[in-house]
Amino acid sequence: MNSNQDALRLLSATAQGDRLAFEELYKHTAGKLYAISLQMLRRRELAEDAVQEAFVRIWHNAGEYQQEKGSVLTWMTTIVRYRALDMLRATKSRRESDEDVEEAEDENSPEKELYTERDRVLIDRCMSLLEGQQREMIQLAYFRGFTHAEVCEHTGSPLGSVKTWIRRGLERLKRCVEA
Amino acid sequence: MNYLTEERKNALASEYVLGTLHGRARIRFQRLLMQHRSLRHVLWQWESRLNSLGGGLAAVPPRPELWEKIQQQLGFNTAELPANVVRLPQASATPHKEQPANNSWKWLTGAATAAALVLAIFLAMPQSPSERLSTQIAVVQGEKAQALWSIELGKNELVVTATVNFKALPDQDYELWMIAADGRPPVSLGLLPKQGKLILQRNAILDQVKIAALAVSQEPLGGSPNGQPTKVLYTTEIVTI
Repeated sequence: MNSNQDALRLLSATAQGDRLAFEELYKHTAGKLYAISLQMLRRRELAEDAVQEAFVRIWHNAGEYQQEKGSVLTWMTTIVRYRALDMLRATKSRRESDEDVEEAEDENSPEKELYTERDRVLIDRCMSLLEGQQREMIQLAYFRGFTHAEVCEHTGSPLGSVKTWIRRGLERLKRCVEA
Repeated sequence: MNYLTEERKNALASEYVLGTLHGRARIRFQRLLMQHRSLRHVLWQWESRLNSLGGGLAAVPPRPELWEKIQQQLGFNTAELPANVVRLPQASATPHKEQPANNSWKWLTGAATAAALVLAIFLAMPQSPSERLSTQIAVVQGEKAQALWSIELGKNELVVTATVNFKALPDQDYELWMIAADGRPPVSLGLLPKQGKLILQRNAILDQVKIAALAVSQEPLGGSPNGQPTKVLYTTEIVTI
């Protein structure tokens, strides 16, 4: 499977209850989704729980995918991130340790292709056009699931500024993507 | 809806997707999403935009057990449980030589086997001991001691799974209640799934009172109309493993 079309075929078969297609979809996307979850939750067990919950939802809600929600893998990413964010909110004592983040990484990840190339290049380019600090704040929120207060702690900028920077950064991203 | 200008919709949706919309604002946004189709479209656009960012991360292969756990959770392989899952109920089915011959004990044995099976499924899921020192579970059984729902009580949520044995009546919902030992009226914990799995928020009261039992009631669609169980069908106890 190396294109969004393939992923779409598997997802649509999954929506019909095809377990083999679902397994195939899992094989090709789990590594990517786990990487995202691990970045946010920082602990292997929690990160796996989030991916597990996400795939259970994907199985049940496969029929709800629409192109408007992005490529298939983008939609799956959305599900994993919401789950991971929920878990972060539920975990009071978050990220006591960063021990699990140093995982073996596969640089030649074939899953990269599953985010439609155009979307990915576009968002990366638009991110690179943001000012350094603004980009860093959005990245901290996106990849680490940081709250405004945590971004503020991490960067040393006042809370009000963090909120403004993130809001304006997102506005700039939108204008850039749509341009 | 007036305050939801395009600009406002985008501001809310983008921070919701990013994860920086918090507390009441987040809950209000979720409610607005249910009400306004146009807002859902704005949200999808943001999900599509921002979540392509994930493409920048290199894949990290999860442990192979993860796929097994997903399959178990979805009930894919109940007919062909792996060897380590089967072993436990066999061991616990004959703990003593003297099996009760009396018929009146049969239901109990059946119940024990059903509980052992469910226990085995939970035990088969690898969990780090520091992560979950004790797990609380409950199995709701029908008249013939068949397992109808399994309930795993986590720190923040209850994971409830309806088994294939459960057949819902049309136009009825099934509600889970906590029966406190102090005699207060039953407290609703939420509606049960009629099939598959559902995650319920853990009601804080579970940690504040001594629990005598959990109960399941049959209710009109949408749950109890008056905040109390309409027709109690089953009760079960919480087991700590």
